[in-house]
Amino acid sequence: MKLEVRNLKKSFGEKEVLHGISFSVESGMALGLLGRNGAGKTTTIRILMDVFKANAGEILVDGKPFVAKDYRIGYLPEERGLYPKKKVKDQMVYLARLKGVSKGQALANVDKWLERLEVMEYKEKKLETLSKGNQQKVQLATTLVADSDIVILDEPFSGLDPVNSQILKDVVSDLIAEGKLVIFSSHQMSYVEEFCDNISIINHGDVVLDGRLKEIKKEFGRNRLVIAAENYTLDELATKLTDEFSDVVSVDKKKKEFLVLQMNDNVSKEGVLTRIVGSDIRLERFGIYEPSLNDIFVAKAGEESE
Amino acid sequence: MNNFKIVLGFELKEYFKSKGFLITTFLLAILAVVGLSLPRFIDLGFNKGIEGVAEQMFSVDDSKVVVYDKDGYLNKDIASQAFPQIRYVESEAEIESAVTDKSADKGFSIKSPTSFKAYVYNSEMYGKEENVMTQLMSVQQGMKYAESKGVTYEELSSSLNPKIDSESVILGKDTRANYWYCYALVIIIFMMVIMYGNMIATSVATEKSNRSVEVLVTSTSTNSVLFGKVIAGAIASIFQMTMILGALIFTYRANREAWGHMLDPILNIPLEVFGIFLLFGLFGYLFFAFIYGSVGALVSKTEDISKTSSGIMMVIMVVYFLSLFQLSNPDGIVMRVFSYLPFSSYSAMFARVALGTVSPVEVIISFIILLASVVGMGLLSAKIYRMGTMRYGNPISIRAAIKAVRKEK
Repeated sequence: MKLEVRNLKKSFGEKEVLHGISFSVESGMALGLLGRNGAGKTTTIRILMDVFKANAGEILVDGKPFVAKDYRIGYLPEERGLYPKKKVKDQMVYLARLKGVSKGQALANVDKWLERLEVMEYKEKKLETLSKGNQQKVQLATTLVADSDIVILDEPFSGLDPVNSQILKDVVSDLIAEGKLVIFSSHQMSYVEEFCDNISIINHGDVVLDGRLKEIKKEFGRNRLVIAAENYTLDELATKLTDEFSDVVSVDKKKKEFLVLQMNDNVSKEGVLTRIVGSDIRLERFGIYEPSLNDIFVAKAGEESE
Repeated sequence: MNNFKIVLGFELKEYFKSKGFLITTFLLAILAVVGLSLPRFIDLGFNKGIEGVAEQMFSVDDSKVVVYDKDGYLNKDIASQAFPQIRYVESEAEIESAVTDKSADKGFSIKSPTSFKAYVYNSEMYGKEENVMTQLMSVQQGMKYAESKGVTYEELSSSLNPKIDSESVILGKDTRANYWYCYALVIIIFMMVIMYGNMIATSVATEKSNRSVEVLVTSTSTNSVLFGKVIAGAIASIFQMTMILGALIFTYRANREAWGHMLDPILNIPLEVFGIFLLFGLFGYLFFAFIYGSVGALVSKTEDISKTSSGIMMVIMVVYFLSLFQLSNPDGIVMRVFSYLPFSSYSAMFARVALGTVSPVEVIISFIILLASVVGMGLLSAKIYRMGTMRYGNPISIRAAIKAVRKEK
């Protein structure tokens, strides 16, 4: 299954908040929808879920128009909320049945997901009696209770402690391995980096970067190297490189444990390495620079927007 | 349709599992049973009959009365029959002080055989303090006159008020008999709309305030959700009302004798009228239930419901008061127009059937209008619900919501 979003536009009153969002994602893959607060992630997801109507653009599944109602979608909204005064089991069964799951299957799925998220003991309890973290886990279990083919998670990690985050990470990894189509929005870049094959960075209602994460990282790292020396501090090394190697590289930035170098045009990695090996620098670290998603995000959604 | 049933089942279960709902239902039903059984155990005076009073020439005033009768115009024998607790005083000042310090309920100063002055502390809303004294003095005058003419007072009285036997044959509607149950039914349906309308609005608004609405509307169609919720609320409220009214009627029937058949006019409803009441009442109630459902969707907090529903409330109140005032004029233009409009036919049409002249065609046309309006209002409410779902913050007015729904089309 391939889900494509094309040129989505949305206005609230006079204000256009999405200026033409496009991305695509396939079964067995996860798409990370990234963006700063108010960038338009949740609005995009709500249009996908048919909570809002788009003013323009289209959503396709395998080339045909996508109608959310025709698919079983596990949706974790950013505005968390279930019925505080009702039993965990009752509301999970109710919401599963609304998605077309039979009562028997719904009951079995409730057990399966409560077990998986380690909140089985609260099955017969009213939701309001649970801690916030456990309520969050029940909400996740409810999202997954219909065994949907498409799973959309809006900020799934917010409110979870590291142990619970790990449980969720495992669940999401399993979903991807089972061939589900997963879309999730998050601020936590480390998680996105772990699961997502594709990312789409939205900024002020526009997609500013989108594609396969590996390629994006490669592109961002193109012509950049990392270096650290045993016999120079990073500052000394930066001075030395600027003084003696400016014909091949320039220092781009200083990280905690290494320098990032920008290669000059028409210079190869091997050429740089040969020059360095021929100097008195004793290499501790040398290689291709692989930016973190955080670096890319800050570069795309942070600096460019300001 | 399937999801509608699931929503309906879930919501109904909620009502019938709610302790508040069950306690209210059974408490009110028990109160009805106990209240209506009281005359069986305690003499509340309902079954006294009226024969004692009818024979008398004047009524009896049991209150404490002081009288200043300087010239002795009152016949003390007769006066003590009319006022068993009568006490004579020596001046008007004494009357004033007795009434002021509450040792007497009222006082009279007799000026002449045909005039007196009455004293009370606070005048009553409906009571006429001087009624019995007026009767007493006119009887006295009558007796004097009869004596002067050499006849007895009874002879004079029966020639002035001869006993006339009559029998009326009602070819149309017995308005007098039908009036009171119509009155009761208008009040019942009004109470249902007001009380349960808010209950339904609260049930919808609660989902918005606890944010479960987003999960819900992305799991099924808004039509299923809104219709399921509103109809569940309607069923629950009709159940509650049936229990309470059922207890009332059942207990009254069992204690009819003890009540002296006092409430018979309210309960003696012809089947035809009751059928029309049920049909129009049910659908009229649903019409407003849907409106209240959309009111719930337009607010983010349950506290805001009354603010947003004030316009609807005005319509309901106007219909209620005009229907009650126009019960005595069921074929007038107001009732005719009201019996066709969906927001008023629920109380106007059965009143016309019970009290006025209305052809079956008119009833059918009005019912079709009501039915179509209920379906239309249901679909519109579902659209408003969908539109209002994700709009948190300040309440949206119904007018603005309808505008937004139109724009969305």
